[in-house]
Amino acid sequence: MDKKPKVAEKDSSVESVLKDPGILRESVASPLVTYPIEVVVPKARQQTPAVGQRATRLDGRLHGLGQTSYIDDMTFPGMLYAKIKRAGVASARIKSIDTSEAEAMPGVMAVLTGKDVPNNAFGPSLKDQPVLALERVFHAGDPVVAVAAVSEQIASEACEKIKIDYELFTPVLDPLESLKLETPGVHAPSANIYQKKFIKKGDIEKGFAMSDHIVESQYRTQMVEHVPLEPHATIAMWDANGRVTIYSTLGRITLGRADIASTLGIPISRIRLVATIVGGNFGGKNEITTEPVLALLSKKTGRPVKSVFTRPDEFIASTTRHPLIMDYKTGVTKDGRIQARKIRLVLDGGAYCSWSETTLSKACILSAGPYNIENIYAEAYVVYTNKTMTGAMRGFGAPQVCFAYESHMDEIATLLKMDPLELRLMNVFHEGSISPTGQKLQSVVVKESLLRAAEKFGWKGKGSGTSGGKLLPKDIIDATTVRV
Amino acid sequence: MVTVTLTVNGETRTAIVGGETTLLRMLRDNLNLTGSKLGCDVGDCGACTVIVDGKPVNSCLMLAAQAEGRDVETIEGLASMDRVHPIQKAFEECASLQCGFCGPGVIMSAKALLDEIPNPTIPQIRDALGGNLCRCTGYVKMIEAILLASRNMRGEAVQSIR
Repeated sequence: MDKKPKVAEKDSSVESVLKDPGILRESVASPLVTYPIEVVVPKARQQTPAVGQRATRLDGRLHGLGQTSYIDDMTFPGMLYAKIKRAGVASARIKSIDTSEAEAMPGVMAVLTGKDVPNNAFGPSLKDQPVLALERVFHAGDPVVAVAAVSEQIASEACEKIKIDYELFTPVLDPLESLKLETPGVHAPSANIYQKKFIKKGDIEKGFAMSDHIVESQYRTQMVEHVPLEPHATIAMWDANGRVTIYSTLGRITLGRADIASTLGIPISRIRLVATIVGGNFGGKNEITTEPVLALLSKKTGRPVKSVFTRPDEFIASTTRHPLIMDYKTGVTKDGRIQARKIRLVLDGGAYCSWSETTLSKACILSAGPYNIENIYAEAYVVYTNKTMTGAMRGFGAPQVCFAYESHMDEIATLLKMDPLELRLMNVFHEGSISPTGQKLQSVVVKESLLRAAEKFGWKGKGSGTSGGKLLPKDIIDATTVRV
Repeated sequence: MVTVTLTVNGETRTAIVGGETTLLRMLRDNLNLTGSKLGCDVGDCGACTVIVDGKPVNSCLMLAAQAEGRDVETIEGLASMDRVHPIQKAFEECASLQCGFCGPGVIMSAKALLDEIPNPTIPQIRDALGGNLCRCTGYVKMIEAILLASRNMRGEAVQSIR
């Protein structure tokens, strides 16, 4: 263990290497391991030597030269272009699909509907999402028909010639409506509430009874699209041996590979999934979208097929951030100690589950904020609506609840005529605090961070942050001033 | 179909394209210059920015035929085999690009700015990047890189950045 294998360093002189060629070799057998293994655990808050160092990115030069190859920059011989015909209606039954006119167009090589997909359901946690909608449409961005043609334009034109006859239903658009039992199920007979979570700590009623003031508020956040600069893109090549190679902007390829295998009904070993350099993910490229469709189009035509989402596709058919409706009720004493907090979160899950489970859990766990509260009750529901599906996006629900609990803290401070910073310092987590879910917290520096920030920010007590101490745009420019 | 002849990065290039083909599509599909990116196809994101007769242009909004006889500079024209352009070097050193998709467009906007104003102020730089969207960086390091590049290009000694 102590005797390290001698391997020539970069700067070994030629002389030293000539003298002892052995230093060029790694030892054949790994050094003996003695138990227990000593693991060096850095002390809490100890900075690693990397902090404060300047570093460049390994791929930085190619990015700047324009030499990085994203999927849309790749072409393969004989490559076709695919376009997806999307529903355009939020909730409907598909009565008929007529693709004959599109198929007859010169240049159209293959047309694909839900009937051609071996297992027409997928999803990272619940398999509730069709690859191509067959009987029902659950949101306007649902893919219904896919076309592969020799050019992008012909494929788009062919999509316009496809006739789909719908029987329209009244869509469920409001998550609070969807929560009610009498509302018809988006995915009937399944219930609209498809996941819930409860957190209980202490005795909420006792906590409210001990409080001098009760503050109640509702907060809402909106749907947000990731808008990666590079749209979702895929190239699929099905070869004569029955193996398929897929180039994809997918971030989680291992998970994606399993999903593609299950939708295509082929062993996972027949799928080679190549993760290319991705032009921005932000959580929006965490699950498969059109990969199985492209694979099947390639199988049908025997040629490589490429598809790149248009910007409108990105907005209507990729995942988005969950809009939340958050009800907060907090009991607080005269001097600003929080005694109890009751929370209800309703997540608008859109048409499919996607990463809603993760988002729901994280939002619920973090919903009480970084404060020492003895009595907490939090409940969270995610419901189906006939809207663009919501999924992973930076923070998985954490930013939404942060907006709510911090707004709530400001309201409490206003009510108590207290400095909002002081209120936070009084209640904030400290070393050894217990989180709402019972975790004993370590390396807690919230108080120090708040004080440092207040100092840097020029916080001068009550209300100064909203009037006197407000930064002007000019100051912000100066703050980002770049020292050259 | 139309025949378009134009100068790209100092070379005369010709391509036969459909009348509706944009300059971006022609550069990418016909001339194989894939450095300019297609991000939105409606002139919002600026990933397709190239310099036409000295002015930065959204090449997704310009028809190839409109570029007939003009002088077009793309990201591929900045570096030579033995020398990276000072702007590209500064972007690399300041780690100004993350996913890199907006990079070629941003660098072309910066090039157009520095060609016109060799010593820009920060507001002028911000103004020049007004047509380029970046979702990763928050622009600060890009501004830093453009300032560094402007100093380097004017031959001013740079002690250190930061």
